[in-house]
Amino acid sequence: MLAQQLLNGFVVGGVYALFALGFTLVFGIQRVLNLAHGAIFMSGAFIAYYTVAAGGPLWLGLALAVIGSGLISVLVEIVCFRRLRRSGDEEFGGIISSIGASLVIMTIAQRISDTQVLRFPFETFPVIIWRFWGLRVSALQLFMLALALALVVVLGWFIYRTAFGRQVRAVTQNERAAMLMGINPVRIHMQTFFLSGALAGAAGVLVGLAFSSIRYTMGEPFLMYGFVIIILGGLGSIPGALLASFLFGMGQTMLTAYMPSAISGLNEAFIFAALFLLLLFRPHGLMGREAAGALRGRR
Amino acid sequence: MGQWIIAYTPLVDLFLLHLGFAYAQYIVLRAGVFSLATAGLAGIGAYTAGVLAVKLGAHPALGVAAATLAGSGAALVLSLPLARLRGVYQAIATVAFVQIVYSVNLWAEPVTGGAMGLNNIPRTAGTGVLAVAALGTLYLVWAMERTRLGRAFNAIRQDEAMAATLGVDIVRHQALAFALSGAIAGLFGALEAYHAYALDPGQFAFPFLIAILSYVILGGRNSVAGPLIGTAILIILPELARPLAENRMLIYGVMLILVINFLPRGIADSLILAWRARRLARPEPAAGEP
Repeated sequence: MLAQQLLNGFVVGGVYALFALGFTLVFGIQRVLNLAHGAIFMSGAFIAYYTVAAGGPLWLGLALAVIGSGLISVLVEIVCFRRLRRSGDEEFGGIISSIGASLVIMTIAQRISDTQVLRFPFETFPVIIWRFWGLRVSALQLFMLALALALVVVLGWFIYRTAFGRQVRAVTQNERAAMLMGINPVRIHMQTFFLSGALAGAAGVLVGLAFSSIRYTMGEPFLMYGFVIIILGGLGSIPGALLASFLFGMGQTMLTAYMPSAISGLNEAFIFAALFLLLLFRPHGLMGREAAGALRGRR
Repeated sequence: MGQWIIAYTPLVDLFLLHLGFAYAQYIVLRAGVFSLATAGLAGIGAYTAGVLAVKLGAHPALGVAAATLAGSGAALVLSLPLARLRGVYQAIATVAFVQIVYSVNLWAEPVTGGAMGLNNIPRTAGTGVLAVAALGTLYLVWAMERTRLGRAFNAIRQDEAMAATLGVDIVRHQALAFALSGAIAGLFGALEAYHAYALDPGQFAFPFLIAILSYVILGGRNSVAGPLIGTAILIILPELARPLAENRMLIYGVMLILVINFLPRGIADSLILAWRARRLARPEPAAGEP
């Protein structure tokens, strides 16, 4: 029973990681909270659903979702943050403009889906279930875990092993200095947003497959959880976000499984109280640095 | 004229209530605290007042007083741990607080009615009461601007280290800002309870938090007029866009993006800055000219 719950928590944690890594990547480089991230995640699920509904195979839907969400994310960067960054007001202004973008994307999705809850057709992903050592593992769970881990590894390789990643990290540390070294920050910003959106889109498809409820509001709880995870891990810290995603996924699954039913309604309260307490003892998250959360311009 | 007033009374009431919440949010931002706790504090106030009225049959005045006290008390307690945090970490810790209030209200069904909501609250707060409360709050904030307290808040927001060297006690001032904000949020929460017949926990959750924050940021988070302008626009705009029916939220989103892109400090603050810049740029009239 315990092993089963740990496994379930690990799978959920993998999906959270995909969502949160993009979120924290954007925060790390721009110091903005992209509140349209939940809507971008939702658009991934939508693109995949409509590809499959139109008769396309699932892999094509997944690929289109990853690319499409990445492009939407780049569009959000251009429309919502670029101009504000120039005047130095992106910290607070960016909150408003990304809420605006989120509303636009969600309204379009609502119109397309006619406010219905969409489901992938049965057997879009083959239903295969293995049982061993008392565990019950579905092929979908394995696929989710494998895809999440693969994308995380690819992201890690991009950020820590390539010239592109070096440039991203340079812009994160100091945009002016990076510019003086001949890096074009505008291009780096766009590429970061693409990566971030693509990861969120993949997460959207996985959630759509696993919980078979694709809805225009499906991004909202994830935006909240994403907040919690990137703070828990320490803002802008990629290893921190990864650790926090799995902790959060496991914690949530464990609470759901083992809480006595009389107080199971308080699960959310316990999770957020734990976050609150953790922040008191580690004000910068598990792996965050001192300066990361400070507001830059308060004028 | 009479017809017009009756037709638009719900809209005016909504505006007055949200104006109060917007100023509760404004005060903490003014003091340099990135707190989003207003939604939770309003929830505490609303449920305090609602439960007192429904379960104990308390007089509305007592309910309002209790809600105001509960709001400011909760805010004071919250300000102690928050003094250790800065910036976005404060924001998230307070989001956690809002979420805790929401889940507890949802869970404590025997007292709060849970997801079914707290119903049959006697309606005792009409437009007049709301208007008095909103004007009182507006006056309070406007007067505060002109005192030592307002200047201390400005100093803390602009540069904490500098404010500390000038002898401003940062923890105490921010606690005071919190208590004030909590009192206003609790008061308007109570008014909401006594105005709307019913309460449900979801009313004071994440979407409400985002709405209040956008009033303040869109209007301008430094000048006193900012929240007034922001609330007016964001409450009235969806009403004007009613003929667009399903595209209403689309237009609303596009408007948010456009306004903040071209007036990045919020409407009031950006216009004031532009006006000041123009006045400074105007050449001095030459002395010897006829």
